[in-house]
Amino acid sequence: MALDTHNAASPFEQQLIEQIQQAKTEQSKIQIIGHGSKVPIDHQVEHLSLKEHSGIIQYDPAELVITVKSGTPLAELNAVLAQNNQMLGFEPPEYGNSTIGGTYACALTGPSFPFRGRLRDYILGSKVIDGRGHLMQFGGKMIKNVAGYDVSRMLCGSKGSLAVVTELSMKVLPKIEETTYCIEMPEGEAILLMNQMQGTALPISACAYYQGRFYYRVAGEHPKQDNRVEVNLCTNDIWQTLNPFKPDLQQGQKLWRLDVESTNPAIENTIAVSMGGSRRWVASENKPNHPYVTLWDQRFLPRNNDKPCVKRIKSGLKKVFDPHGIFKDL
Amino acid sequence: MALIEALEKAIGKDNVLSSEEACRPYECDALSAYRQKPLAVALPENVDQVRQVLKLCKQYQTPVITRGSGTGLAGGTLPQADSVILGLAKLNQILQIDPLQRTAIVQPGVRNITISEAAAKYNLYYAPDPSSQIACSIGGNVAENSGGVHCLKYGLTVHNVTSITVLDMDGDPIIFDEKDDGIDLLALMNGSEGLLGVIVEIKLKLLPKPEAAQLVMAAFNSVDQCADAVTSVLKQGIIPAGLEMMDQFAIQAAEDFAQVGYPTDAAALLLCEVDGSHDQVQVDSQRVADILSANGAHQIQVSQNESQRLALWQGRKNAFPAVGRYSPDYYCMDGTIPRSQLAYVLQKISQLSNKYGLRVANVFHAGDGNLHPLILYDANKPGELEQTEKFGAEILRLCVDVGGTITGEHGVGVEKLDSMCHQYSDAELEVFHGIKKVFDNTGLLNPGKAVPTLHRCAELGHMHVHNNQLPHPELERF
Repeated sequence: MALDTHNAASPFEQQLIEQIQQAKTEQSKIQIIGHGSKVPIDHQVEHLSLKEHSGIIQYDPAELVITVKSGTPLAELNAVLAQNNQMLGFEPPEYGNSTIGGTYACALTGPSFPFRGRLRDYILGSKVIDGRGHLMQFGGKMIKNVAGYDVSRMLCGSKGSLAVVTELSMKVLPKIEETTYCIEMPEGEAILLMNQMQGTALPISACAYYQGRFYYRVAGEHPKQDNRVEVNLCTNDIWQTLNPFKPDLQQGQKLWRLDVESTNPAIENTIAVSMGGSRRWVASENKPNHPYVTLWDQRFLPRNNDKPCVKRIKSGLKKVFDPHGIFKDL
Repeated sequence: MALIEALEKAIGKDNVLSSEEACRPYECDALSAYRQKPLAVALPENVDQVRQVLKLCKQYQTPVITRGSGTGLAGGTLPQADSVILGLAKLNQILQIDPLQRTAIVQPGVRNITISEAAAKYNLYYAPDPSSQIACSIGGNVAENSGGVHCLKYGLTVHNVTSITVLDMDGDPIIFDEKDDGIDLLALMNGSEGLLGVIVEIKLKLLPKPEAAQLVMAAFNSVDQCADAVTSVLKQGIIPAGLEMMDQFAIQAAEDFAQVGYPTDAAALLLCEVDGSHDQVQVDSQRVADILSANGAHQIQVSQNESQRLALWQGRKNAFPAVGRYSPDYYCMDGTIPRSQLAYVLQKISQLSNKYGLRVANVFHAGDGNLHPLILYDANKPGELEQTEKFGAEILRLCVDVGGTITGEHGVGVEKLDSMCHQYSDAELEVFHGIKKVFDNTGLLNPGKAVPTLHRCAELGHMHVHNNQLPHPELERF
């Protein structure tokens, strides 16, 4: 009955270890890539590809846990879960053949974030190879696990700079019927209303503002929403429009993603409000004056605005995981 | 002593304890089997005083063990003889509740239940609810990434914290926020057991109170049937707010203690609570009752009103003290396992109980596979504590061997250091030590907790020698 918990490397992982060790010997750099749908690819360095490292390793619907190879396309993962009436609770965006590994590396989460949590909240464990070529497992397959530092969740958003992630174990959720409603109103009123509604017992699973309309999605059985005459029943398509958000911009405009408190008043040049009010999308030539702004032109570049103490911690962690500086930083 | 005098000067004599008598209450946390009187106890009243304590301890190279309410169950705040206990109980203010944003900003010494009480007037609450929530402090919850009955549906502490301010060993503040870019340092801080920084402020997510909740109680003639019923409920697409299981010993003890009407003839009892909108709860509670019935429950009771629901919970909530009446001492374990292994693991625990001659009651969070076997023993009988610890370690080893982990919610502390050697390899432990050094290169923050030294693991005899070669020959041994 006992399961093997030893960190045995598969032939593919062994290849990766050898590639890393060779890079260490040659003092060269490696960029970890999947299908290249997100981060800019540097053709000056060697690539470590996880594109072929695809497939479900372990999945028992009754455990609400799935373990997959990191190169598994989201589409395949979603299809397998759907067959069992389950889903990824964090609604990852599809950038065109996106893999679960790339989604994890870029910490991408969908519109249900304020209600069901973000990607890292679903991560239970990971198998990684660090810059020394050591194959290691952190976390596990359990929903509750507080043994050791939470490296699996920490690596979420690391964009391939610390270690190669070869496997991920994630919590999954039962699929549930969801219905979307919308109301026409000005942005400021919508921000207030979406915050007020999130404080009620109505089982909301997403809300946003786009092109003059406040949209909200309700999960499962819920009270009728026709108590306001202006409430309209909509399709669920709006959530794919906003996730991933790829608007048509005017000449010279750039798309900025701002992370704010959900109650933050309307911000100039906003073209969409998502994540229950906590994310604002701004189209402008210049960077908005705000503490948490990312240039969001689908290249997922880091903000590089960390305070010195945080920079020191991140650079220290880089040395722990990648002491020879093999993995390319963005 | 120079450090004690300096502490008294910096934060006031009344805020520093150093006599034998005054320090005695701080010699252990809720794991009272391990005790050690500290050098002194510092009880700062504000963040600036916390900073001064840290600066002085660094100057005098004195270990600092941060402590909240002392309810930890793994010896995570056990003092060292030469250490200062940094008690944060006086930092107990709720600084802000923003009902529109649904957040609370709190100091670390605030008790868990107080947050929900303060948020109640806005119809909001703080979801993570460790069983000790009337006493445990939120800073300790973050340090341990505490769970509770509701975490299958509403998550652990890490899922409900949006920002933390910590002081490093120099007393300098660092903010970790969910809006930060890149690697997730906020996640890393949760569950770091006081080794990476001293938490001085926390921003928490508050949730709207569910409109309704209903409890379904089901009695089974066998543990296997009950375990299968648990997996069936989840497989059918229902995420209960709470899903708790008790074995016959625990049922009998709880009923004797609380007299709530539990069926004492049952081999296993399941308590399944669903919550949400009135409409959803009505649908889900009927579905749960049907599923449990189809899985062989011979008795099912669905709570008909709020007072009945709370009454049925009383037995489960009092199960630990109830079992405690049968023995001078008990030892509470905290492993997690895949739900599919429930029946197998319970059977193995029963065999181990016979092997050691020690009784065990099983009360656990079945929904997330978090076991809490209570091993009954008598500390006054020579050698019985040692036997109990061996028994406990075997249970944790069993949890790892079936694909689980050595701690679901209590933490490693000093209690499970040896079991960490079974769960993690040397390379993984080396990474943990590397992380610690990045945050605290002095090694003064809660030393000797949570992560065993490689030396310790090697001494335990887990060293695997292959072809006459040690793993990681570059490491210094002994």
